[in-house]
Amino acid sequence: MLNNSLFADFSRQSPKGIIIIYIKLLYKVLKATWFLLFLFLQKFSKINDDTLIYIYVGIGVLLIFILIRAYLLYKNFLFRIDENHFVLKEGILKKKNTSISFDRIQNVNFKQNLIQQLINVYEVNIETAGSKDTEIAIKALTIDKAEALKKELLQVKSTVEVVEREQLKPLLKINFKELLKVSLTENHLQNLMVFAALVFGVFQQLNDVFKGFNSEDVLDNYTDVNPGDIFNSLFLFVILFLLLIIVGVLSSFVRILLFHFNLTLFIREESFDITQGLLTKKSIILSKGKVQSIIVSTNPIKKKLGISFITFKQAVSGKVKKQQHKLIRIIGCKAEQIKTIKELLYVNDSNESERYVPNKYFIFRMYFRSSIGLLLVNSIILFLIQDPNLLWVNLLFIPLTLLLIQMKYKKAFYQFNEELLIFGEGRVETHLTYLPFFKVQNIKIKQTIFQKRKNVVNLILQTASGKIRIPCIEKERAIKLYNYILYKIESNKESWM
Amino acid sequence: MDYFKNNLVNQLPDISELTFKRIHKDYLKVLVLTTLVVFLVLFLGVFFLKKNVEIIANFEYVNYFYFLLSIIFLLLLTVFSIGFSRRKYVLREKDVTYKSGVLIEKITTVPYSRIQHVEINEAPISRIFKLASLNVFTAGDSSNDLVIKGIKKEEALKIKEFINQQIDA
Repeated sequence: MLNNSLFADFSRQSPKGIIIIYIKLLYKVLKATWFLLFLFLQKFSKINDDTLIYIYVGIGVLLIFILIRAYLLYKNFLFRIDENHFVLKEGILKKKNTSISFDRIQNVNFKQNLIQQLINVYEVNIETAGSKDTEIAIKALTIDKAEALKKELLQVKSTVEVVEREQLKPLLKINFKELLKVSLTENHLQNLMVFAALVFGVFQQLNDVFKGFNSEDVLDNYTDVNPGDIFNSLFLFVILFLLLIIVGVLSSFVRILLFHFNLTLFIREESFDITQGLLTKKSIILSKGKVQSIIVSTNPIKKKLGISFITFKQAVSGKVKKQQHKLIRIIGCKAEQIKTIKELLYVNDSNESERYVPNKYFIFRMYFRSSIGLLLVNSIILFLIQDPNLLWVNLLFIPLTLLLIQMKYKKAFYQFNEELLIFGEGRVETHLTYLPFFKVQNIKIKQTIFQKRKNVVNLILQTASGKIRIPCIEKERAIKLYNYILYKIESNKESWM
Repeated sequence: MDYFKNNLVNQLPDISELTFKRIHKDYLKVLVLTTLVVFLVLFLGVFFLKKNVEIIANFEYVNYFYFLLSIIFLLLLTVFSIGFSRRKYVLREKDVTYKSGVLIEKITTVPYSRIQHVEINEAPISRIFKLASLNVFTAGDSSNDLVIKGIKKEEALKIKEFINQQIDA
């Protein structure tokens, strides 16, 4: 098997990779210089012909330089398989040699962005649980080569895995109608925030450019609203509110469409096979053993429609901030599909065990913290803004806070059987985390001096994919769990990552 | 759940019944010295700012800064001396445990089978007393690993060797 490996010798990407690298470099340059280009277009008519020629030649030279660079990058990107290591050589002047042993490879995923879809090549991502330097992306491979590479990297042990996709029946396939249903029931407020952050970022950049033109009033004029009468401002408020709702719903819809278009989930012997995405099509093989925990989430409206979404959590590498792409989310799951997935991952899930709720101290602490927060807001209004009319916000704030605290307390619980911890949390949304005990990496009990008087503690379970914090549970029970989880980890021989 | 309570727990090794080992007593000196150095720098900083920056010199409450700093300094020293005797660790056959804390009491256990690597660090002031800290790392999002500060360097090396053996076993 080793000798007739397709990749025993160094091989390159598909020659089409030059295009991908070229476009990527071009995009980088454009991103860094777009305001120069903007300036250029703005003053286009004022530039005389001689200078124009220089500029064109300059751009031409730059384009050719990028092309040469792309070619060299392609030429110097070599990879091979050496016994049970994946070896990568890259770099034009600064050579870099990376070698990853097979058992450190978490996953091999395929990805296709718009351009890769157009020229029909696949990007192969090799994920490891190590530091972020060992995340490898091979930008362009033909499908045959990509499949072959994956097969060798993951050392397909069972022949069952080779079953062609066409012969499998998907467990879950989301069509456009369902996608719409899901996106309408999303957390629009959250999506609105994301969108607002995006707009704000662009706005900042634009503002910087306009400042360069010495005409900042261009944008500021729009914010110069005359202080009209109450009716006017109320009207404006309603319009703004409606507008925000529309933007929120739209941004949820766009986000869901971009990431989850055509979501298909296949079940294989040892893994889940997931494909989704509109512009960037992602194909992910998620092996069951590598799933650290799953979170099943829903909200009141979704619950009415009988749908929820599952988040699969895998080991994240080092202290990388970009954890988002390691979270694999399956939207629009029906109850029986969730049941199937749970049964596939955790055999021993069926027996209903007793639910434990956090100690009363938990809700007391929330009341205490929120009243401090409210007190702070009120004193800011009174002493800093000095506008007593604003105190009316309390009419909205206080009931809302009380409601949210009640909801949070009601949703917090934990239960467990011999192998599995189930932890529930959430306010409006409900999140249920399923964590097999042996996946825990370290375990901690924390107790503040206030908690000590009530004899409650926080139990913190750290896994390779983040931590789970069970707040304010009785100390006695926490210690029992602590001992039991340690026993579970230490007596376990399976690999947990 | 009764099954779990009755049959398993009674046999399980109990973390609350372990005899923990204290860290080396010299480490208290290290803590005091380090705080002293930090606050000396802070005091000098305020002093020079007051001398050279006009806005601060004209600020009428400037002397309160010294007062505030002294209070924080004394508070820290108190917390350290109360908390020092609570910094304890224990190694078992299959895991390592560390506990500490005055205002927030913490206890952490890392099983050897989940340890990725072990590091020994020597901070400048610790080195005077031949003390070291033992850092234990696990895989993935490992912001919350276990650190035992203030043990003799030979001891730390021994523990490191022991843990490495247990990982390989």
